[in-house]
Amino acid sequence: MTAASGTVRNPLRQASSPGRIPLALRLAGRQMRGGIEGFVVFMLCVALGVMVIAAIGALANALVAGLERQGRQIIGGDIALSRMHTPATQAERSKLDAVGTISETSTMRVMARTLNGDDQILASLKSVDRNYPLVGKLELRDGAAKNASLAGASAAVEPILLERLGIKVGDQFQLGSIPVTARAIIDKQPDGLLDRLTYGPRILVSTDTLKKTGLAAPGALIRWRYAIGLHETDPSGSSAQALDHARAELKQGLAKGGFIVVDRTDPSPQIRRTLERLRQFLTLIGLTALIVGGVGIANAVANFVDRRRRTIATMKSVGAKNRTILAVFMTQILVVTLMGIAIGLVAGVSIPAILANVFGDSLPISPVISISASNLLAAAGYGLLVALLFSLWPLGRAELISPAVLFRDQVGQARVVPRWPIIVATVVIAILLASLAIFSSDTPHIAAYFAGALVLILLVFYGLGHLVTFVARRLPRPKMPELAIALGSIAAPGGLARTVVLSLGAGLSMLVAVALTDASLVSELTGKLPQNAPDYFLLDIPKGEADGFKALVAEKIKGVKIQEAPMLRGRLVALAGKKTEDVKPPVDAEWVLRGDRGITYAKSVPPGSKIVEGKWWEENYSGTPLVSFEVDLARMLGLGIGDEITVNVLGRDITAKIANLRQLDWDSLSINFVMVFSPNTLQGAPSNQLATINLPEDIDLPTEAAAMRAISKAYPTVTSIRVRDAVDSFNKVFARIMTAIRVAGGVTLLAGALVLAGALATAQRRRILEAVILKALGATRRRILTAHAIEYLLLAALTAVFAILLGGLASWIALSQVLDIPFVFSWFAIAQALLLSIALVVVFGGLGTWQVLQARPVPYLKSE
Amino acid sequence: MSPPIVSLEGLKLSLQSRAGNVDILRGIDLQITQGQSVAILGPSGSGKTSLLMIVAGLERATGGKVTVAGTTLQGMNEDGLALLRGEKIGIVFQSFHLVPTMTALENVALPLEFQGKDEAFATATDLLGEVGLAHRLHHFPAELSGGEQQRVAIARALSTNPPLILADEPTGNLDGETGRQIIELLFSLQRRSQATLVLVTHDDKLAERCERVVRMADGNIRSDDMASAA
Repeated sequence: MTAASGTVRNPLRQASSPGRIPLALRLAGRQMRGGIEGFVVFMLCVALGVMVIAAIGALANALVAGLERQGRQIIGGDIALSRMHTPATQAERSKLDAVGTISETSTMRVMARTLNGDDQILASLKSVDRNYPLVGKLELRDGAAKNASLAGASAAVEPILLERLGIKVGDQFQLGSIPVTARAIIDKQPDGLLDRLTYGPRILVSTDTLKKTGLAAPGALIRWRYAIGLHETDPSGSSAQALDHARAELKQGLAKGGFIVVDRTDPSPQIRRTLERLRQFLTLIGLTALIVGGVGIANAVANFVDRRRRTIATMKSVGAKNRTILAVFMTQILVVTLMGIAIGLVAGVSIPAILANVFGDSLPISPVISISASNLLAAAGYGLLVALLFSLWPLGRAELISPAVLFRDQVGQARVVPRWPIIVATVVIAILLASLAIFSSDTPHIAAYFAGALVLILLVFYGLGHLVTFVARRLPRPKMPELAIALGSIAAPGGLARTVVLSLGAGLSMLVAVALTDASLVSELTGKLPQNAPDYFLLDIPKGEADGFKALVAEKIKGVKIQEAPMLRGRLVALAGKKTEDVKPPVDAEWVLRGDRGITYAKSVPPGSKIVEGKWWEENYSGTPLVSFEVDLARMLGLGIGDEITVNVLGRDITAKIANLRQLDWDSLSINFVMVFSPNTLQGAPSNQLATINLPEDIDLPTEAAAMRAISKAYPTVTSIRVRDAVDSFNKVFARIMTAIRVAGGVTLLAGALVLAGALATAQRRRILEAVILKALGATRRRILTAHAIEYLLLAALTAVFAILLGGLASWIALSQVLDIPFVFSWFAIAQALLLSIALVVVFGGLGTWQVLQARPVPYLKSE
Repeated sequence: MSPPIVSLEGLKLSLQSRAGNVDILRGIDLQITQGQSVAILGPSGSGKTSLLMIVAGLERATGGKVTVAGTTLQGMNEDGLALLRGEKIGIVFQSFHLVPTMTALENVALPLEFQGKDEAFATATDLLGEVGLAHRLHHFPAELSGGEQQRVAIARALSTNPPLILADEPTGNLDGETGRQIIELLFSLQRRSQATLVLVTHDDKLAERCERVVRMADGNIRSDDMASAA
């Protein structure tokens, strides 16, 4: 050989080390030449979880963006102010006029009756001025003009009102104390969202007509609303600075007016908050799906590593370091994870768009689909963290595989604990994941409960899987060969038992928890209400006519139960000497400070209330104004006995000292007030009575309708609300939310099913070989089928029992600790869980067994 | 003369592959009498294992007639074949093929359990004692050496006392000394039970230990001789 030959480069070698790609990447690339077989379940698990989280986030974002985008439309201007009872005074009006163009409207619930008083309907009356609407268009049928239609004593009405009263356009109906002509039919109102939350069909009248009806009497429940179109408007609405400036000006000028102010950037803080909460809750469920899928991820990685034991040993025997092995496999895991995340994100972002297309019209807010980087990042981040959390451990064990595997296969089969940096990294990722879930929620304690429960459930099923294997191994061998084969399979070291129990158990527990919580909520709302809840709320009973009113009700409905209390509306303006604007209440107590609350006064403790702290005042108390406050809210607001609160009632500030704290049963739907004042505090204020009616159980609909007609004929200003109708409409909303939760819970089970399918697929070759051996030894197909059925049913039933116990426990904790609702056990929910569990195992296991029975024995029996 | 325990008449086997039909067996005629030990000898791909699998009812012939222990296999369903194997045939594989989830004792008792025999475990214990594994009864296959696993497989094949034992390269996965011990064991047990042994191998020396040597090549029988050593 010449000296020059030593410098000749091997052309093959040159081609196989391209550029500067790091060694780990090059090796990973070579390993993945055969595709990602064995990683499909891994990828789907990541994709499913990421999809749910991204879809929930995108849908919530779309709805919130819709809310903001349509802000002007929804509030009818750039800024809207509202308050109960009193219209803006002259001075207030001039301050409003200084900011922009004003449209004054008022809304209240009224009874619309036929002229002869035979029939009536609860309606939602809205008075509008000439400027209405500032934004959008009021569409009247046949192109009728608004101002002409409302001129004189006439109204525009929704078609249902005409039908219900049996009249047509041009006919008159009674509104308060005057007859009004139905002049036009409303096809579309501009400020739809807010109006959808009202009772009964809409009647539009002019402000003048409202005055003539006599319905806007002092103390009546009427909301006055002032929509403002700012002066400097460009085509897309006024600039942000102008809006802030106007808001600040109004806040300063009308500080004492007791107005609620919203602007187009956040037209409904309440809806926004509800959406935000729902998003957080559903994200937690999505995260559960991801973590249940994590079991599949861990299985896939462990199996992948197991199949490459010889490759790892070979690489080590030619000089690969532990770290190189880890880097090679980590690279492959990351590639598959990123593919899963990409699939999940695309699917997740598409779902809201599809939903918007299909259900867009039935949603109260038109969703505005947009791609939010933070939402995508959050979903991707969760996906990446979960994939790493469940991959690191098996990868940590992979890098420690001994090269001796090449010589003796049993070497290194013993359980190996990864190096400490891997353990630390796993713990850090777990903490990071939990922190992300807990601290991104505005109810961290609920998220923490959730995370704790999830960890507990995973641990229990992990332990149960091992316990089942342990017990099966130690049971005496049954005489029946099929049972013996089944138990042998459960006891086998690499058997399916642990994976089936863990994957199915975690998914099923979540489903049981959701099903039982759902059953308890439904039972609470539907089962309990008819017995305790009143059938009607009657508002605005004139104070002086209360006795006559009660006598009439008692005469018309035999066996009726009436409860009454004086009622005013007032807004909390100061708590313990601090302005409410400066108080930062917990989320659950915000509603008390938001807008008007019904308030009352009483000589003695109202029925349904219990004093838990302090003392009730004497019957003829006449000292410093006192108030009784609901105990839970008082604690949330940091209020105690002796603290002073200030309430604005009909424009006047009233300050009273907290004398005692009461516990209330809110769920009873009977008359409940957060604040009950001592009679001397409010007795001078013009108040009406509020009453509730419990009808006798055997009353029929015609009797009820006739009685209510007579009552409203005698007391035209009284508004009656059939609570059952309200409960029904609440149930509809509730049902939709529960559907969303059930779907999300179902996704968790789907993740469990995926893991199950992955585990079964991994074990399939072993199972086929085992079945073939059994056939060779004389086992019939029925025998093999029976053995498989016993194995699967045993595992499914055992898992279901534990899932029911754990899911039940989780539901009980959620109901009693968070929602404060009694837990109701539902056999139906349990049966559903059992059937689902068995069905899943039978379907997946059955498919596997069918394949097992069809397999040709020879390829498996010939030497490998 | 007693009827043959295995009778093959014009036996054919063709399998489909991507490249088209492959003829594995091209018309084999073979009669094996009760109690005989027969070696089927041939290079890899000659069709000897396929022939054994067809006799065991684990592979279906595509032509010809197969009769085992007086039963014609054509037209039998899978379960019928399984029951026939359970009663009449014991099989020893090159890769042992023990049920990994069962102990040595359970593996040997299993065919007897399938037949509903009450004394399954007592018989299995005796058999394992005979093959020198009395101390390994409760070990799982993964805990046994290759030679031990093959001993369990032989005990299992003989557990129902079948008239026909089929062995497919029984020493193929074992070292020389262990293989020799296994063969001694197999022949001594066969002689004692007076069962027929059909042994597939590519080892001339091993084949010569049988009474009869059938040589195969390319799916055909090339020669069929009574061994001189027998």
